Amino acid sequence: MAAILQGLQFYPGDSIIHRLDPRAKLLISTTFLLITLIYVEVTVTTIIVATEALLAAISGIMRRWIKTVYGSIPFIVAVFLMNYLIRMLIPGQLPTQMILYESFAAAYRLIALLASFSIFFLTTTPEEIGMTLTKLRIPYMYVFAFISAIRFTPILAEELQTIVDSQRSRGLELDRGNPLTRLRRYIPILVPLIVNVLRRSYELAEAMEVKCFGASKKRTYLRELKLRPKDLAVIVLALISIAASIYFKFISPIKIP
Amino acid sequence: MIRFESVEYVYPNGVKALDGIDLEIGDGEIVAIMGENGAGKTTLIKHLNGLLKPVRGRVLIDGVDTRNATVASLSKKVGIVFQNPDDMFFSESVWEEVAFALRNFGYGEEVVKRRVENAINFMDLAGYADKSPFTLSGGEKKRLALAIVLAWSPDIIALDEPTIGQDMLQKEKLLEVIKLLNSQGKTVIISSHDVEFIADLKPRIILMKRGRVIADGDAEEIFLNEELLKSCNLLPPQLITLSKELDFIGVKPRLYSSRELAVEIMTRLRR
Repeated sequence: MAAILQGLQFYPGDSIIHRLDPRAKLLISTTFLLITLIYVEVTVTTIIVATEALLAAISGIMRRWIKTVYGSIPFIVAVFLMNYLIRMLIPGQLPTQMILYESFAAAYRLIALLASFSIFFLTTTPEEIGMTLTKLRIPYMYVFAFISAIRFTPILAEELQTIVDSQRSRGLELDRGNPLTRLRRYIPILVPLIVNVLRRSYELAEAMEVKCFGASKKRTYLRELKLRPKDLAVIVLALISIAASIYFKFISPIKIP
Repeated sequence: MIRFESVEYVYPNGVKALDGIDLEIGDGEIVAIMGENGAGKTTLIKHLNGLLKPVRGRVLIDGVDTRNATVASLSKKVGIVFQNPDDMFFSESVWEEVAFALRNFGYGEEVVKRRVENAINFMDLAGYADKSPFTLSGGEKKRLALAIVLAWSPDIIALDEPTIGQDMLQKEKLLEVIKLLNSQGKTVIISSHDVEFIADLKPRIILMKRGRVIADGDAEEIFLNEELLKSCNLLPPQLITLSKELDFIGVKPRLYSSRELAVEIMTRLRR
């Protein structure tokens, strides 16, 4: 679980991807998302994942990116099983092999999806994400709440560890017992965590009010987003890819294996 | 008896927090672990009950290698009171909070009842037994944190920065508690950079810097060495600084108590 969170956190770097306008990056991820949704075929998904891996390598975030993929394995397996069971139960006449293939394809597409957004979050600072959302005309209050959530995730993770340490030092054993007793054992972990989160929210809100947050409707920003030639090139490339995917799937007679 | 043998520890993010620690702490000692932030004090303390296991070397608690024991079993012997009490409270009442560890360690309800009452009374929390731990003040929370650990009466008690956020009166009380615990034969280890607080205890001091022990000796010896202290971002206790200023009337620089220094000044002035 922690592995997924790590893959969604900003990882500093100076690659081409890092320096792109966040809107361009968001479009890249959205492009991957759309193509993955349009195509069920495993070959296409593989191309997508390979492209994502290439981008991850260029940005120097390979290890973190792999961690996201690795961390999402439980979900992948769950999706696979769910798909398999549902297809088996529906009275169709599809051969088992076909069902396995489709379930696998569904799970595989999930990887491509998660991985694409992981690249976005790994190469974009919360501030840049906030600026993107503001440009999309979302009120700053909600934007701030969203990026605060992103910013506080690593702090929460640290705090979780501290709480686990404290409770283990009081004799709490988290890795013993059947699943039901184990769940109850997490209460001493969850309660302090939630209490601290709530307390911190109040303190943050107070600090912000003291700094006049929300005092005027019109807000200015220290940095402004500007689209540069590289960003435009990426955007055009992304749009062409989306258009091509739609064409080949729905309009052209060419079949993809 | 606590032994650290060439202990090294590296955090998952690559930071080397302990760089070859060799230590021995005997039963019944009072030891202060001092050093600037980031020196490795908390990391060292977490090795005492196995929360962290050394990457190299080993830690022996009464002959048991911490790598071969669970945190729960080591915690029976080594009670750690962490810095932030807010990271441990979850119960409906102070009473339940103190009982938690005792129940984890498998004590029967009769014993639990007795120990909880003793611990609560010992730390002056008698009136608060039924209150929610979340409604306590900062100082009361710190007392509760200590009561929680004292309830199972471990032989070794480690306090991580116990004086943070405490007022003078609370610090005095804490000093009394520590002295009392030590007189009962317990080993007390305190990590702190509160020089004045430690000076009052006159313990053995282990000075750490960047993951290494750079000095290990008795309080007076270490506090008199101003350069050593400065290299760790520490200043000597005020009474030592004062005694050094008074050398023009013949006062020898020592770790005096205020009374001892007053007597010394009067003696020197009469000559």
